[in-house]
Order: sequence, then C-alpha cells, then structure tokens
Amino acid sequence: MSVIVNALVDLGYILIFPGFLFCFLCGMLLCGIERKIVARMQKRVGPPILQPMYDFFKLCGKETIVPAVANKTVYLLAPIVGLAALVVIQLFIPVFNFTAFSGNADIIVILYLLLIPALAEIFGAAATGSPFAGVGLSREMVTIISCELPLVLVFLAVGKAVGNAVGSGVVFSMQTIASYQAEHGCLLLKPSMIPAAIAFLLTIPGETGTHPFDAAEAETEICEGMLAEYSGKPLAVYKLSHAVKMLTLTSLFVALFLGGLGTGVILVDGLINFFFCVVITICVVALMDASTARLKIEQLFKYYWTVVSGLAAISLVLAWYGL
Amino acid sequence: MITFNYIASFFLIALGFYTIITKFNLVKAVIGLSIADYGVNLLIISIGYVPGGTAPIFTQGEITQLSYFVDPIPQALTLTSIVIGACVTAMSMSLVMKLHESYGTLDTREIRRLHG
Amino acid sequence: MSNFMNYIHFPIYSVMVLFLGAFLIVVLGKNKTLRSIIAVLSVSISLACMIALIKPVMVNGEVIAYWMGNRVPAGGYAIGIAMEVDALSLFFGLLISTAVFVSTVYSIQYMAHDENIPQYYTLLLMLAGGVMGLVLSGDIFNMFIMVEILTFAAVALTAFRNRVFGALEAAFKYLVVGCMGSTCILAGTIMLYANAHTLNFAQLSAIIPGNMNTSTKIAFALLFVGFSTKAFIVPFHPLAADAHGAAPASISVLISGVLTKSGIYGIIRLTYFLFQTMGLSTFQFLLVFIGCVSMFLCVTMALAQHDFKRLLAFHSISQIGYVLTAVGLFTAVGFSSGIYHALNHTLFKGLLFLAAGAVLHETGTTNLDELGGLSKKMPHTTVLFLIGAFSISGIPPFNGFASKWMIYQACYQKAVESGNIGYVLVTVICLVTSVLTLASFVKVSQSVFFGRLPEKYENVKEVSFGMRLAMGIFALLCVLTGLFPDLVGKYLTQPAATAAFNASSYIDAMLGEGYAASAMGPFLPAAQNVVFYEAGVWSPMSWLLIMCIVLLAITIVAVTSKYDRVSAVSSGEADAKHALFFSGEEAVYSQVGGSDLFWGFKHNWRHYFSFMHDLHSGILNDYALWAVVDLALVMLFMLIVL
Repeated sequence: MSVIVNALVDLGYILIFPGFLFCFLCGMLLCGIERKIVARMQKRVGPPILQPMYDFFKLCGKETIVPAVANKTVYLLAPIVGLAALVVIQLFIPVFNFTAFSGNADIIVILYLLLIPALAEIFGAAATGSPFAGVGLSREMVTIISCELPLVLVFLAVGKAVGNAVGSGVVFSMQTIASYQAEHGCLLLKPSMIPAAIAFLLTIPGETGTHPFDAAEAETEICEGMLAEYSGKPLAVYKLSHAVKMLTLTSLFVALFLGGLGTGVILVDGLINFFFCVVITICVVALMDASTARLKIEQLFKYYWTVVSGLAAISLVLAWYGL
Repeated sequence: MITFNYIASFFLIALGFYTIITKFNLVKAVIGLSIADYGVNLLIISIGYVPGGTAPIFTQGEITQLSYFVDPIPQALTLTSIVIGACVTAMSMSLVMKLHESYGTLDTREIRRLHG
Repeated sequence: MSNFMNYIHFPIYSVMVLFLGAFLIVVLGKNKTLRSIIAVLSVSISLACMIALIKPVMVNGEVIAYWMGNRVPAGGYAIGIAMEVDALSLFFGLLISTAVFVSTVYSIQYMAHDENIPQYYTLLLMLAGGVMGLVLSGDIFNMFIMVEILTFAAVALTAFRNRVFGALEAAFKYLVVGCMGSTCILAGTIMLYANAHTLNFAQLSAIIPGNMNTSTKIAFALLFVGFSTKAFIVPFHPLAADAHGAAPASISVLISGVLTKSGIYGIIRLTYFLFQTMGLSTFQFLLVFIGCVSMFLCVTMALAQHDFKRLLAFHSISQIGYVLTAVGLFTAVGFSSGIYHALNHTLFKGLLFLAAGAVLHETGTTNLDELGGLSKKMPHTTVLFLIGAFSISGIPPFNGFASKWMIYQACYQKAVESGNIGYVLVTVICLVTSVLTLASFVKVSQSVFFGRLPEKYENVKEVSFGMRLAMGIFALLCVLTGLFPDLVGKYLTQPAATAAFNASSYIDAMLGEGYAASAMGPFLPAAQNVVFYEAGVWSPMSWLLIMCIVLLAITIVAVTSKYDRVSAVSSGEADAKHALFFSGEEAVYSQVGGSDLFWGFKHNWRHYFSFMHDLHSGILNDYALWAVVDLALVMLFMLIVL
C-alpha cells in the first residue's frame, strides 16, 4: 500500500511540483516578466506578462512543416528530449529544505545534465540540414564550451566551501549543501563566495542565450540560427525549454547561494524561491538584455574564459585555503 | 674487458638512435634501428659472461657442483633478439621498397603526407 | 596430471587457440567459409575461456599461477616460464577478447572485397594472440616477446591496404619508433636480469624494490618509456594518429582498444608491482602530469582535424590520458575508475571506429569537408554512431559518464586528502577536456551525418547486417555498462583494483606462501583492505526511470491534443513549402561542416593551433627525436627522484 502511495507522491512531484506544471507556469511567467521589464527599460509598454503562454498555445495550433532534407525522427524527437531533461534537472534542485528526489542530486550530475538541453537543440538543428542551423549550432557549441569552465570552477568552489565547514573535505551532494545553509545561513554571506556568485550570475545569460551572449540565435544575422526551420509544436516546445531553462538556472543559483532562507512549508518555500528567481531575472538578465549589444562569438569565448573564470577561480582558491 | 663491452654496447645503442634522428634517408633509419639492436644484443651477451667460465653445454651426469660456466639464459635471449632484429630489418626494408615505389623518393622530409 | 578442462589451463588455451587459428588459416585459408569459421571459432573459444575464469579469479579472489612444462620453483628460485592470472590480468584479458571478437565479426563483411584476405586473418589472430599473451604472462621476457609479436602484426595490418593514402608511411613510422620502444624494453629487461638473475615477474617484484641502484633506475626509465610507446601517450601520439587513420577500421578498433591498453597494462605492472614506487607523491605527479598533457593536447589537436579517423585517433589518446591520470592517483577509487574508463573506452571507441569504417565502406572517403547528410541513407549507422558519441562525451546515462564521474570524484578527493591544489587543476582539466570532446563529436555529427547530402553520395546504402551486428554489440555493451556501474564495479573493476594494491598476494601465489614476507623483509607492501566508499549518489536506473516518465508525459500531451498537424513529404519531392529557407541565396549554399565549424573558437586559439600543426610535421626524424628526449627526461627524473 505504501509503495503505491509513494509512487503516486513521486508522480505528483514529477507532474506538478517541482515538475512539469510548476516549470511550465513559472518558466513562462519569468520569461514574460523579463520581456516586460526590458520593454519598460526601453521606454516601451511591452507585451502582457502572460504573453509567452499565449505564444505557446498559438504555436501549438500551427502546422509543423518538416523540410524535405531533414531527418524527421531527430527533428521531432529532439525538442521533447531537451524539455524532459530540463524538467528532470528541476526535480533534483532543492527548494530550500525540500528535495523531490534527493537520492540523485549531485552537483557534477547536474552539470552534465545541463548539457543535455543544449545538445538536444544542437542535434535538432543539425537534423534540419539548413546552413543557418549549421552556423547556429557551431556558435551554440562554442557558447557551451565557454560557459562550462566558469560553471565547473563555481561548483568546485561551492563544494569545497561547504566541505570545509562540514568537515568531510568535499561535498558534492545538493542536499548537504541545502541543509548546511539551513543551519549556518546562506553561502552568499561568506565573502569568499561572492566572486563565485557573480561568476554564476554572469553565466546565466550565456546559458539561456539572452543579450549580450546570444550569438548562437542571432535573429538579425542568421535568422535565429538553430530554430530557423522549426515551426508549430516543436518550436513551441523549444520556446518552453528556453523559459524553463531560465527558471532552472535561477533556482540553481538560489539553491547554491541563497539557501537557508526558507520556512519549511513547501508552498511558502516555493513562492519565496520564485520571488528570488524573479529578482535575479530582473536584476541580472533583464538589465543586461536591455542595455548591451551582442558580442561576437570569439569575444564571448574570450570574456568567459578570462573574466568570468578568473572570478570563479579566485573563489575556488579562497575556498581552498579555508577562508 | 667486460666493462669495455658495456660501454661499447651503450655507445652502439646511442649511435643507432642518433642515426635515426639525424639521417634523412629511410634506409639509413633502418640501419640505425639495426645498430641499436646489435648494441642491445652485445649488452645481453656481456651480462651473462663469467670470467673463466666454460660453455654451458653438459651431458647428463657431467655437471657437478664445481662446474663453472657462463650463464646460459642470456645466450638464449640473445638468439631470440637476433631473430627479432632480423625480422624488423626484413619488414622495414619491404616497407622501404613499397614506399620508394609509391612516393618515388627515400627522403624522410618528402615522405610526410600525414602531418598536422 | 589434472583434467585438461580444469580452469587452470584456460589461460594457456586462450592464448594458444589464437596462434593455432593463425596457423590453420595459413594452411587452409583459401576457402572463404572455412577461413571465417576458423577465425570466429578461435576468438570465441578465447573469449569463452576468459569468461569462464571470472568465477574463480574475480569472485573467489584466486590467483592462477601456471608453470609451463610443470617446472615449479626449486629451492625458492623460479626456473620455468610462468603465466599468472590475477584479477587485473583477467580484467584486461576480458576487455581484449571482447574487442577482438567483435572486430573479427565485423571484418568478415568489411574486408570481403580486399585481396590477400587469408594473410589479414592470420595477422589479426597473431595480434590477438600477442596481446593475450602479454596480459596473461608472468615472465618479463615473455612479455617482451609478445610486445614484439603485436608490434609486427599491428605494423603489417596498418600497411595492409597499400594503396590507401599514407598507409605505408604510417606503418613505417610506427615500425621505426615502435621498435625503438621495444629496444628500450629489452634493454630494461636485461638490466633487471643483471641485478636479480631471474626473469620471473613475481620474483623480480620481490627482489627489486628493496635493492634499487642506478642500473635498476635506468632500467625502470627504459621500461617505462618502452611501454609508453606501446600505449601511444604523449609524445608518441602522432604514431597513433597516423596508424589509426590508415589502417582498416576493424584494425583501428584493435589499435585503439587493445594495443593502447596493453601499454597501460605494462605501465601498471611496472609501477604497482615490479618497482612499487607508486607511494611516492613525486611519482604520482609524473603519471598524472603525462596523463593531463595527453588529455588536453590531443583533444585540442582533434578539433583541428579534417579526417574522421584521424580525429577519432586523437580522441583515443585523450581518453588514455584520462586512464593514466586516474591510475596515477594511487587511490582505490582512482584506480578502479581508471580501469573502468579503460573498459568503456574500448567499447565506445570500438563502436566509433566501426561506424567510421561503415561510412568509408559506403562512400569511399573519410574527409569531413566532403561528407554530409548521411543520416537519411544510413539511419542505423547514425543511431549507433550517436550512441558512441554520447558515450565518449560523457552524457548520462551512457558508460562514459559513469567512469568520468568517478574519475572527477577521485581527483577531487585526492586533492582534498593530499591538500595539494594541483589536483584541483587536474579535475578542471578533466572536465574541460570532456566538453571539448563533446564539441568534436558535434562537429563530426554535423559534418558527416547531418547537413546536406552531396550529389555523389545519392546512391549510398546502409551497410550490411554483419557490420551492423558488430556495432550493435558494442552499443549494447556501452549502454549496459553505463546503466549498471555497480555490477561492473563489483565483478570487474574492484577485484582488479584490489589485486593491484596487493602485490604480495601476487608474489605469494607464484612462489609459495610467505615468500614475499621472507624475501622482501621491511619493504613488504602492506596487504591493504581496499575500501570502495560510495562514490557519490548517482543511480542511473532511477534517473532513467524518471526521464522516461517525463518523456511519456510530454508525448501523451503532444499526441492527444487536437492541433496535431505535421506536414512532411517523403524524400525526393522538393516543393517550395518543404524547401529550406535561404533568404534568396540558394546559389551559394554549401554544407556548413568540417572546417567551417567553431570558427570563432579556432580564431581565438589560432596561434596555438598553428604552432601545433607545424610541430606535428610528419617527419620521422622529429618523432624519433621526441622519443629520445622523452627517454632522457624520464631517465633523469628516475635518477633524481627514486
């Protein structure tokens, strides 16, 4: 009997919170808020906050035109795999003290799982056979390479900082990080973690592909690159993936650096988590989106591997020596 | 006598490797490889040497506690090594022949279609 | 006289059946079916013998010491030639026999149109026999002989297709530098003999570590460099790149999956058993340094390649760098993750080379700038290639991820335990290399399988069933070893790691109980109870289950909604609606692949790439110079450090 109850509870986690439905609603809301804030910063009115949802349902009703030269299976399958991987990552990220599937939550695993949505988009683009998609996927791969080094350094720094305090040397488990922060206050209060936090915040626009790091899907240069030949339902799923990715990365930041501020009640924790995500989106993503121009791909690579990695490396060295 | 053998064998090995590095002809590279092999053979056989020992060939019952002979194992190893050296020379010379046939030259600076 | 089916005879069976098969093919090889039957039968018997040994050696922890001709030690002195199979040897033996089996099955169809096919099978079986003899041997001179056999067979097989671009020159360079390495191994062996007057590996392991003098240190350097040549690690990697690219694909599988592992096996036996120097942190630094340089240098070289198989060859050496780094950490988790990665590497690299061979077989070229769009014509090969590509990049849940994840944990744990921040740099290098590997395989996928199909390949068909079966076996093994890392650990890697840390049981099995204790005195290595703590919390099966449920949910929602109109045409019909969008510039459309990809990244690193390109000049003398400089540096290192 309890097995069935456990299975139903797990199914609830997967489908409702923090799974599919939560990702859908909150991701779309984040996306909409970001667009609205950018518009206001540019002295426009901007679309309504629920606009991404309207776009999603509109796209679902359109016809999917598969190009003649495309590989149909990969073309239709890739968006779904990408979205599934993102939802799975969201299931592993703790919401303050609550983790849906604690047995699998491990920083390095999340690092690798974060590759899967970008990879799904790359293979979907490759499958279309379009030259614009070829250029787009090349740039997206370079963006992935650029963002990987700072992320690695940030995760290692966080693992070491928590490990120093807990006494076991190094900690890779998300649940341990969450419980440590619940007892000792959030990691952002430690001065050695501030460069790592800044580095992670700078990585978020790169991963989600917003200005100034959106060389991969440059609308004006390569006709939106990877998504050039997509239409209808698959395109809707890709747009949903972008939105959920924004939610995933911001909640990862909250889990790593702003933990310990929860109340213990799941619903309230969820709202506080979402509030922080909104704040980060406004202050970092929307601000940079509205006020910068697009970087060229080699400038993007250089920026990430020098400035951002340098910040994260400073944090790693400070954490290593126990500061 | 025996120290001289060791010095000579290391000199031969070094000379063989030097030939492979500095000479730009394929046949000279093969010769260098053979010289290095001969140096190792000299080393092997010298290690087994016992001053004043006889050849290690005895019939049943002839060998006693006072028999004084050179070490037979390095001799067996040397024979194996000589054979291997001969095989290496044979295979490399056949490759040199085919290379000359297809590239038209024996200069190592020209035979570099696979690079980078 | 024990029953001939007793399992202690299985090691010698698995070696001799391969040599016997080679001989039979020379005699009976004209008939095609007879030839295939003999080849497949010999490799199957060899594989079966290895699998049958899992229960006594891995599960029960026995070490099989087999004296040829029943010449057991007399007076505490080894007088015969021995084979010794402990868990480490059996692990490598299993790996090798699996790779040889799949390669033989693949060769039946792949080499069907070549000439001199009986000689091919003879050489293949000689190569297999040589490597099996190397890993199962307990006598150091026997190991040298087997190394020579496998070098010859590999050189001959590299040059097998004379008319392939660069085959002869690749074989010649491999022969010259490889034989330089073999000469070093022989010289090292003889210097050890001069010190210990025995050639038996176990007895040497008992005598040498307590009696290190200048000649043994020089011998160590010579042996180390000799086995590095066989493993193709830096600076011997250009030989690998040339040889893999020129050899037939089934042989590339063996060169990358089996020969490199034999070199790594030799290095492990030297450092963990014969000289037992792994306890020194400077020595660990040597192995980790060489491993990291191999990793990073080869993956960046791979990004600049235009040839499919040459790219795969550089990746091969990069993954061997991972193995060497993990082995060099000298921790239980490090060692077991290193050899787990060696197993995975054989599987996924074999799969990738077989896919490259399939592409070459159908299209006649492996040039990345000329291929494109093959997924429509060769769908099964594409899927199998993608499984291999995801495995090597370390995407969950395939096997590459499991072993790489364990390697990262081991590196970072070592950093914490030793307090040395250098190991953190090693971890970062490992992770960055992984993502660069992923980039290379995205490039290959786009250049070969996706994108636009050139007109001249319109008639390409899918490869024959035998070749797909071989690829499918590797792909299935990749997935299985990825989903069940705990089973692989319990039955394969952990017994091997335990064996590596317990050299005294190796010595005792060969020469009698208590020999190690009496002969080595204060230098006896402690019989360590190797503890494998639960490295992390990754559970692949539950992750896969969650992923499947989510996929199912999305698919149900997608399929059952009312607005589901997918408009597609069958291939060939081109109308305006299903054409690609070119914004009016169709005339200048070309395939975006090969050298066009990652332009920005290559621009940033252009000085490095041009320097590396000029350095790998292809001239034999340069490669020989690198070999001699490496020998000199390692010799200096050994003399100073040990």
